[in-house]
Amino acid sequence: MSWASPDDVFLSTSLATYLDKKILVLLRDGRKLLGLLRSFDQFANVVLEGACERIIVGDLYCDIPLGLYVIRGENVVLIGELDLEKDELPPHMTRVSTAEIKRAQKAERDATVLKGSMRKRMEFLDFD
Amino acid sequence: MATEEESAVKEPLDLIRLSLDERIYVKLRSDRELRGKLHWVTVWLLQAYDQHLNMILGDVEEVVTTVEIDDETYEEIVRTTRRTVPFLFVRGDGVILVSPPLRTA
Amino acid sequence: MLFFSYFKDLVGREVTVELKNDLAIRGTLHSVDQYLNIKLENTRVVDQDKYPHMLSVRNCFIRGSVVRYVQLPPDGVDVDLLHDATRREARGG
Repeated sequence: MSWASPDDVFLSTSLATYLDKKILVLLRDGRKLLGLLRSFDQFANVVLEGACERIIVGDLYCDIPLGLYVIRGENVVLIGELDLEKDELPPHMTRVSTAEIKRAQKAERDATVLKGSMRKRMEFLDFD
Repeated sequence: MATEEESAVKEPLDLIRLSLDERIYVKLRSDRELRGKLHWVTVWLLQAYDQHLNMILGDVEEVVTTVEIDDETYEEIVRTTRRTVPFLFVRGDGVILVSPPLRTA
Repeated sequence: MLFFSYFKDLVGREVTVELKNDLAIRGTLHSVDQYLNIKLENTRVVDQDKYPHMLSVRNCFIRGSVVRYVQLPPDGVDVDLLHDATRREARGG
């Protein structure tokens, strides 16, 4: 991403075209942040105003408010400009409270851990 | 025809360039393998010691190997999925090894 | 040939960018830079059901370091030109 002059900013990979727009930032750890893009630099470091984290577990989701966020570019996977005319999520998804989404998240994590530990036990019993 | 000078292999990467327009094998991170015709390879120098082999392959077959744990028996299931892609740019930082076609001459 | 100058010729064409986190996005190539950062327009995610949060994303910036593959349009690949470029680089040209 270069510091393009105003003339070619629309032809470059500059994030200037997303300034003051609602964006989705996908992070390397899988987290999804939403907010208004207020600033950026050539490393894709970005400043998000009114940021929130969107947690999705199956058909449930919740937006957790975070405030003003500075995100380091090396953690960024993708920055998407949201089309405000379109629904942000499919109609079958349900918004739930923070407590509920955290519960769902924990249940999902526990299931994965259980699967892993059961597998280890199976390996232990596997004599051949 | 390549001249003698052009076809001389002086460093490892020359061997890959010699495979231009031939089918090569590429092993990538996250258990992926590619077989395809090498159309383009470029050395991308990130730092003095860090080189990436960016490539464009044609008629590519990709094989991905995944291991899943069965929900009921908790047994490991090894799956391989295959697909073909007409032209693929491969970013060099995922490349583990490149093998040119076997030559008998 | 700088490695990204080839991509510049593909601006305006449909490509599929596959990321290291397995997300695959199809869209019109808007721009690319020397780090292989990519901007796509009119994007759609290949496996939309798996990525509901991407539903309303129409334009996006992809950080070059997370790209695994780019699927190129078959008629946008000039094989002879690519071969020449590879040979030129081998001679240090």
